[in-house]
Amino acid sequence: MYRSFRRALAASSAACALVYGLGATPTLAQPPIKIGFHAGLTGPAAADGKAAEAAAQLAVDQINRAGGVLARKLELIVYDDQFKPEVVVPLANRMIGDDKVRAVISAGFSAPTRAAAPVFQKAEVPYIAAISFAPEVTRAGDYVFRVTSVGEVQGRAGAKLVGDVLKKKRVVVITIKTDFGKTLVAGFKDAAPKFGIQILKEYEYSPGDRQFGPLVASIKADAPDAIYATGFYFTGGPLVSQLRAAGVAADIVGPESYSSQKFIEIAGAAAEGTLITNVIDWGSQSPEVTQFLADFEKKAGFKAEAVSAQTHAAISVLAAAIRRAASDEPKQIRAALEKTDLMTAIGRLSFNDLHEVRKVFPVSIVRNGAWTKFTTIDDMVLLAPPTK
Amino acid sequence: MNLLVELGVQGLINGAIYALIATGLAMVFGLLRILHIAHAGLFALGGYLGLVITNASGSFALGLAGAMLLVGVCGMAMYRLCYEPILDKPPYVALIASVGLFIAMEELFRLVFGAYGRSYRRVPLQGALEFAGMRIKYAELGVAVLTVGLLVGLALFTSRTRVGIAWRATVTDSRMAASFGVSIAGVRYLNFFIGSALAAAAGVMVGVLNNLVEPGMGGVPSYKALAIIVLGGLGNLNGTLVAALLLGLVEAYGSIYLSKVLDRDSIAFAALIAVLLVRPQGLFGLRS
Repeated sequence: MYRSFRRALAASSAACALVYGLGATPTLAQPPIKIGFHAGLTGPAAADGKAAEAAAQLAVDQINRAGGVLARKLELIVYDDQFKPEVVVPLANRMIGDDKVRAVISAGFSAPTRAAAPVFQKAEVPYIAAISFAPEVTRAGDYVFRVTSVGEVQGRAGAKLVGDVLKKKRVVVITIKTDFGKTLVAGFKDAAPKFGIQILKEYEYSPGDRQFGPLVASIKADAPDAIYATGFYFTGGPLVSQLRAAGVAADIVGPESYSSQKFIEIAGAAAEGTLITNVIDWGSQSPEVTQFLADFEKKAGFKAEAVSAQTHAAISVLAAAIRRAASDEPKQIRAALEKTDLMTAIGRLSFNDLHEVRKVFPVSIVRNGAWTKFTTIDDMVLLAPPTK
Repeated sequence: MNLLVELGVQGLINGAIYALIATGLAMVFGLLRILHIAHAGLFALGGYLGLVITNASGSFALGLAGAMLLVGVCGMAMYRLCYEPILDKPPYVALIASVGLFIAMEELFRLVFGAYGRSYRRVPLQGALEFAGMRIKYAELGVAVLTVGLLVGLALFTSRTRVGIAWRATVTDSRMAASFGVSIAGVRYLNFFIGSALAAAAGVMVGVLNNLVEPGMGGVPSYKALAIIVLGGLGNLNGTLVAALLLGLVEAYGSIYLSKVLDRDSIAFAALIAVLLVRPQGLFGLRS
């Protein structure tokens, strides 16, 4: 009697263990799916790099909390590329050889991403560039994808905003001397005639410039209706504030790289009315966007900007592809990535044959010290990314 | 015509900032023959301290004075801890130490103050003065007034006070000065204090003009100030002042009329190469 009771107890506890083992904690039982991640976490790219890291971690946490992917958790393997191409190549080899990552997200700028793309291509590991604009990145091969629009496409969106939406025709163009700035302006000038825009004058400045006195004095003399000013929040903030302080009242249109709240902090009241072609739709009702904006602010302690939204979207795209592939095999993830059609923190996106992203541009405007929705540029013919 | 005048005004304001930064560098070079790259790190530190003190206390005057004082002390500490132990080594040793220190300072700012850069809660010296169709911001006027005030003060100090005369004597011939009872160590500390305080003043004003103080803000001044002191005839303070103002002017006109040919930041170096080819001792240096 006693013995049979013991046997029954043993059998039932084994059954319990079996049930729990299979049902309640499956995600713990299997090893996580490793995702590589690199960004400039120290050095000059650190501000964007840290924001991107927070966004990537947020995306992974959200996915894991909801049960992971293929009943497995995602694990983010984070590396600091220091914004240096010579640093990122050994890191890429380490991710491939030692960490055995199944796919990699780059929130690095163009220089490191351009250097790393061929390494991942050769190793046949899917590589998604979240914020790099260099055209060569996707040309590295069919394992490379990009969730941000290249500069030319965004420049064309800027031209439509200025010439068609705002109906401003006499325009001054300011180029920041980086790949990003030059491609933005190339796209703007390319589309300008279509919208009847007359470019009065073009100016250039270096990324290190913060004092634009001479430029501002000359623009004042040009008396344009609108200014297409490329740059980053740390150059655009001082530029906009100096233009307004000098009494220039023309509309100012910029790129997504002004989307940080820091831009408004720097330019203060002068920021009011500045328009940008953004990746964040501040008026969106879609839960993918609103949830991201709320959760990111809670996690990071500051409002989301383009870099963090794009990095979050890159992880979402990757997780969805692994789910669709029903496998963590890089080859099958790659194939599934090609068929992406997903609502993300930066809106609905898919890839073309060069693996460049197809998406619309929400336009944001500064009102009462915050970015708010203005309109959307959704002319998909105008916004067609470069193809193979 | 109006544009030409306005560009001139902008050029002089930028030149004034260059002058404040480069004077300290020229003072250190004149006395110790060290290329003090980390001076640009002190410039950035000035920007941060001015902003932090102003944001905390609400008083910009306190921010400016506090930044100058604290950065002056940091400059003296830098001399004591970094340069004094290696003064007997060849000059490139100090140069390498200085570059290392500068890089370390930039990363330290990033760790302590954050990678994003900081802005004033209430930007001081807002508003602008209008005359003859021009608008000059109060902050820009502030730069001009501060530069003139500080540099005139420095000139009076070195020519009218006993300490200043001792300082000049040490620059000219330190051994002779020492034999007359001048404390060489004291002069060196004073030198670093004044030079660093001037850089801090420039840092605070740049922070106000841009409403942005960022870890990398010393980057451009670090090499431009170097070009200026070479142009001015290494260690020559009057030459440095003229070279700084000239560079400001050339950059202002150049960034509008030459930008297709020459980058604004390369103007300084094009001028440097041109001058060194013709006058290797600098514009105002004496042939030794």
